[in-house]
Amino acid sequence: MKGYIGIDIGSISTKGVIINEDEKIIASSYLWTEGNPVLAVKKVLKELRQQIDEEIINIVAVGTTGSARKLIGTMLGATVIKNEITAHAIGTLSLHKDVRTIIEIGGQDSKIILLEDGVVTDYAMNTLCAAGTGSFLSSQAKRLGIRVEDFGEIALTSKHPTNIAARCTVFAESDLVHKLQMGYSQKDIIAGLCNSVAQNYLNNVAKGKKLESPIIFQGGVSKNIGVKTAFEKILNEKVITDENGHLMGALGCAILAMKKNVERPFSFNVSNSDFETKAVECKGCPNHCEVIVVKKDGEKLDSWGNRCDKGSYFK
Amino acid sequence: MKTVGLPKGLLYYRYETLWKSFFKALNVPVMVSEESNLLLLEKGKKKSIDEACLSLKLFIGHVESLKNKCDYVLVPRIYSLEKDEQVCTNFNCLYDLIKNVYPELNILNYNIDVKHHKSEKKAFIAMGNTLGFSKLKSKKAYAFAKSQEKIEKEKKEQNQNIKLKTNKKKILILGHPYNTKDCLIGKSITDFLSNYPVEIIYSDIFNEKLVNKYAKKISPKVHWTMNKELLASFMYYKDKVDGVIVISAFPCGPDSLTNEMILRKKANAKVLLLTFEELNSNIALLTRLESFLDMLKGGIHL
Repeated sequence: MKGYIGIDIGSISTKGVIINEDEKIIASSYLWTEGNPVLAVKKVLKELRQQIDEEIINIVAVGTTGSARKLIGTMLGATVIKNEITAHAIGTLSLHKDVRTIIEIGGQDSKIILLEDGVVTDYAMNTLCAAGTGSFLSSQAKRLGIRVEDFGEIALTSKHPTNIAARCTVFAESDLVHKLQMGYSQKDIIAGLCNSVAQNYLNNVAKGKKLESPIIFQGGVSKNIGVKTAFEKILNEKVITDENGHLMGALGCAILAMKKNVERPFSFNVSNSDFETKAVECKGCPNHCEVIVVKKDGEKLDSWGNRCDKGSYFK
Repeated sequence: MKTVGLPKGLLYYRYETLWKSFFKALNVPVMVSEESNLLLLEKGKKKSIDEACLSLKLFIGHVESLKNKCDYVLVPRIYSLEKDEQVCTNFNCLYDLIKNVYPELNILNYNIDVKHHKSEKKAFIAMGNTLGFSKLKSKKAYAFAKSQEKIEKEKKEQNQNIKLKTNKKKILILGHPYNTKDCLIGKSITDFLSNYPVEIIYSDIFNEKLVNKYAKKISPKVHWTMNKELLASFMYYKDKVDGVIVISAFPCGPDSLTNEMILRKKANAKVLLLTFEELNSNIALLTRLESFLDMLKGGIHL
């Protein structure tokens, strides 16, 4: 049987799936990127390999998405290298055919995708500021000395969430410290933080957009029941979260790899190869482009970052 | 004959034909600075305050690169182009700013302030006078330059109208021409788009007689002349194209106001807003552009 690998390499976590020809997930892996996408992907491939029988499943194509999609795509010889928006939309559509709104809050990104009849009609991403994303919540959790995984449950116990200004991480933090010193209880503050993440998202990323039901909430922050409940309260609509919500990007690019109908031999042994990346500053013109060169076992695979052809000759 | 240097930034993109034709009629050789590049931006950044917008930093870099290479560097001062309207304060202060940064530089200046009856024509005659030409000669040169500018504009409009009629997907690049045409800003986007089967429509190619009519559709009174033109162009083209990419340099006061107006009044138009600040990595930019193009294609495409 044919199998397709999809890998989503985000800033915080790396997700991988193998699907069969019926778009069903037959293996999945989810772990932290820890600033080393190459190593993370090697680990993901190892985990995926353990879950399938290589005698039966034959991997014929790979798709990558996420911020390290190009690097990993080159490394694995991917047939599809796709941006996160498209990958997420396609992955989600395969499980929820009628989805109208996808809310996605990840480690440093948040995005909204609006769909109609299975076609993306509008989307938005946060600007480069990470206010109201996962990294904001985990830094506040650290300050409060609580595991970020417990945030949601604690938030649900609060009856009077505190108002916290979440427009900017720096202001939110000083507001939070101030409220703590004033004597607000911790659970009210945590509930307030969850509310402010939802409010901040709706005011910024989803600004001016009409959120139609069914609404699906994805990304790492969707695991936080406090934020999910906050969204439901503000929107007065049911918000769906999926156990596999974090895998949608990986699923989406695996489906794209299948639909592209281009097959390229793939071996799990690629994880045994030595990959090296280096940055070279091209001095060919005053632009001084930083060219990234990727090498496999000492041989150049590809390079990018150059604005013109001069940059492509680096070894 | 003395050479006039034209810094390839800010107003250059608005007045290129007018300037070049005026100097050509007077037989004054001109020298245009090189295309924007990172080294030039670095030079500009060193000489500007950190609050200056990216476009102004680039402009200073262009002036720097012309220094010592020509006899004059053209830096106009524009206070107002229409009665009861204003242009960005950068254009109000440009001459004084450059004069302060480069006290030794020989600046060729002209001053337009329609609010106080200082027209473009008067300004060009005065500029001709600085270069030692008689009033009559400058007047003739200005008339010639104006006619060339008109021909050029009409030609561009005609070309754009042909592009609008094609069956390809059309994308409007909306923004100040000094941003949309700059090598480090808008050109990186149009270069990317040229790999796709799309037709690029520029917001600055737009019949000026229609500006007031279309600007009124979005707001009864827009105080900033150049942004009024952008809004009018947006209202005119938005239903004629498949998508709009709005390009801004950070921080821009007038743009922050009118971009917000566009986002609120876009209705069904597909708009992607891209703000440029430091220009080191373009991965975030490519993600947004790619997904925008995927959306315009509609459906699931590879």
